[in-house]
Amino acid sequence: MTETNDTRKLRGEVRDFLAEERARGTVLGRPDSWLTGWDPDFSRRLAGRGWVGMALPPRYGGGGRGFAARVVVIEELLAAGAPVSAHWVADRQAGPSILAHGTEEQRQRFLPAIAAGRCFFSIGMSEQEAGSDLANVRTRAERVPGGWRLTGTKKWTGGAHVNDYAIVLARTGEHEDRHQGLSQFIVDLRAPGVRTEPIHLLTGEHTFNWFHLDGVEVPDDMLLGQEGDGWKQVTGELAFERSGPERYLSTFPLLVSLTRELRRGAATPDQQARLGALLARISAIRQLSLGVADALDAGRPADVRAALVKDLGTRLEGDLVHEVRRILPRTADTGATPGSYPHHLAYALLHSPGYTLRGGTNEILRGIITRGLERQS
Amino acid sequence: MTTTLATRVAALCEAGRLAGPGPFAETVLGHLDVVLPEGPSTVAIADGLSLAYAHPAVTRVGPIGTSGQDAALRVSGTLPRVPYGATSTVLVLTEGPRGPVLFPVDPARATAVPGTNLAGEPRDTLQLHDYAVAADDVRPLTPAELAEAGLRAALARAALIAGAAERCVELTARHTTTRVQFGRPLSHFQAVKQEEARLIEESALVRAAVDAAARELSPVGVAAAKAQASASVAEIARIAHQLHGAIGFTQLSELRFATTRLWSWRDEDGDESHWTALLGRAALAADDVWALLAV
Repeated sequence: MTETNDTRKLRGEVRDFLAEERARGTVLGRPDSWLTGWDPDFSRRLAGRGWVGMALPPRYGGGGRGFAARVVVIEELLAAGAPVSAHWVADRQAGPSILAHGTEEQRQRFLPAIAAGRCFFSIGMSEQEAGSDLANVRTRAERVPGGWRLTGTKKWTGGAHVNDYAIVLARTGEHEDRHQGLSQFIVDLRAPGVRTEPIHLLTGEHTFNWFHLDGVEVPDDMLLGQEGDGWKQVTGELAFERSGPERYLSTFPLLVSLTRELRRGAATPDQQARLGALLARISAIRQLSLGVADALDAGRPADVRAALVKDLGTRLEGDLVHEVRRILPRTADTGATPGSYPHHLAYALLHSPGYTLRGGTNEILRGIITRGLERQS
Repeated sequence: MTTTLATRVAALCEAGRLAGPGPFAETVLGHLDVVLPEGPSTVAIADGLSLAYAHPAVTRVGPIGTSGQDAALRVSGTLPRVPYGATSTVLVLTEGPRGPVLFPVDPARATAVPGTNLAGEPRDTLQLHDYAVAADDVRPLTPAELAEAGLRAALARAALIAGAAERCVELTARHTTTRVQFGRPLSHFQAVKQEEARLIEESALVRAAVDAAARELSPVGVAAAKAQASASVAEIARIAHQLHGAIGFTQLSELRFATTRLWSWRDEDGDESHWTALLGRAALAADDVWALLAV
């Protein structure tokens, strides 16, 4: 991506907004804030600036600004460690998905609410027996008069206990090819039969859930897209999910914290060079990720490059934590003052196993990368 | 017709891929209004030379501080490991007594000690002993022009590295899809796939950094590109050789044309330590480390 006057202006506006929010005490510079920084009021203020649902068309309340502009905003928010998890899935995934596959009625009902920061979504894909092997989902949707009845249990469903809706992948038919007979539904998380149970992270934070669907009735008009097209719809979104700034910036706030500490004293040449090496790598990964955003904006396929960004970026997120600790050794401490370096170090470290797992385990993604190369040669 | 920096950098990536020389001097000097001499030419950005103007004003009678009558120079010192330095006109960029200058050196009038890098590319050391440069040949430079030449040289070298890295990917993919062991091509083994994917990634990473630096040519962008290009060499060459097996470790395979260049080029025009130190200092001098990356 080349910075234009438009993107520079936008960047400046987001930085000013973040400065105001810091003064308000809402932006704490926490690592991995897109996973655990749940602040619906922040989301609504962000939406008030037009920065939620930015890529959605104006006729549905969106900004109509394209993915490249959205990336500018997302980068700034993540680098600052802003609490963006409430609207995260709605903005990144549910909005574009409803726009692409939804009925006109669904678009009018959900998209303006998403763009206003008033409607938050979860993703109900993974299950106990369907992790990397997503086609193995067991949740069933049976036809009932006027709709569907969903039964099953989703796992790792982030925010299901606080969000409004979930997009659920369920089996609607049996086929020899497991990729057929899957459909997506928009499920009201307050509907009868929905029950969530927390799954706590290593930090003790509650973001993931078991998401039980005990015969949840979903009306016909909440089928998303075509019956049986679930697999195609789900895999079509993956390039967006895998290549964004959240795949290399999750731990950037820890680096910000480090530089703040290093500026207090005289950094040694070794500390400077190690910091520089991290920045070189982040900068290069960022350029690769921006290239994918450009490809997506231009409608070009980018699944292989997205997988590549995700593997490189998320490995960096974890490596950064260990390297930062070597540059400025301190004891990681969840009991330290919130916002302090040892506190950030503890959260970044305890979250670190997740970086290379979420959004598709990296070992599986590398298979996509080598297959892409074989197709070329 | 002017050729953009991005075009020249793309040509250098291709040159690096083919293990051939590219428009290196043209890229380094592209911002200067310099006509390259006839025949092969090369660039040396030098420090540590001793420069004096040949005809200083006779200050005993004139006002103190009057500068010389013309720009003719006498130069002494060493130009270490100049690419093709013994067989090309060397365009030297360096600090002079009145500010930075550019001037040509004819290796026939210097003492040339031939040498090579690990890939066998000539890296000749030239000793200059009171080497006379005619006034007409001395081109004064602004400090910004000299600094930009340094950035362009590093970017050009990083582009060559990006190309050689892509060659490693090509050759490795060819080998792993055609070499059969245990009844299957190597590329069908999960362990091979995992390593090969990392090779592809590391190569793509270098290319993305180089392309971005070529669009804007900022000190931070170039420092990041050359630092990452040099830093990625170890992993790229390691995986390419590992997946090639024994043949890559011998002169039976053309892989060496890429990997020996990578091992040499990472040190040339500033190694990763040089450029990461610059980045680190810039990050600590800035108010906001993020703003350094996303201008």
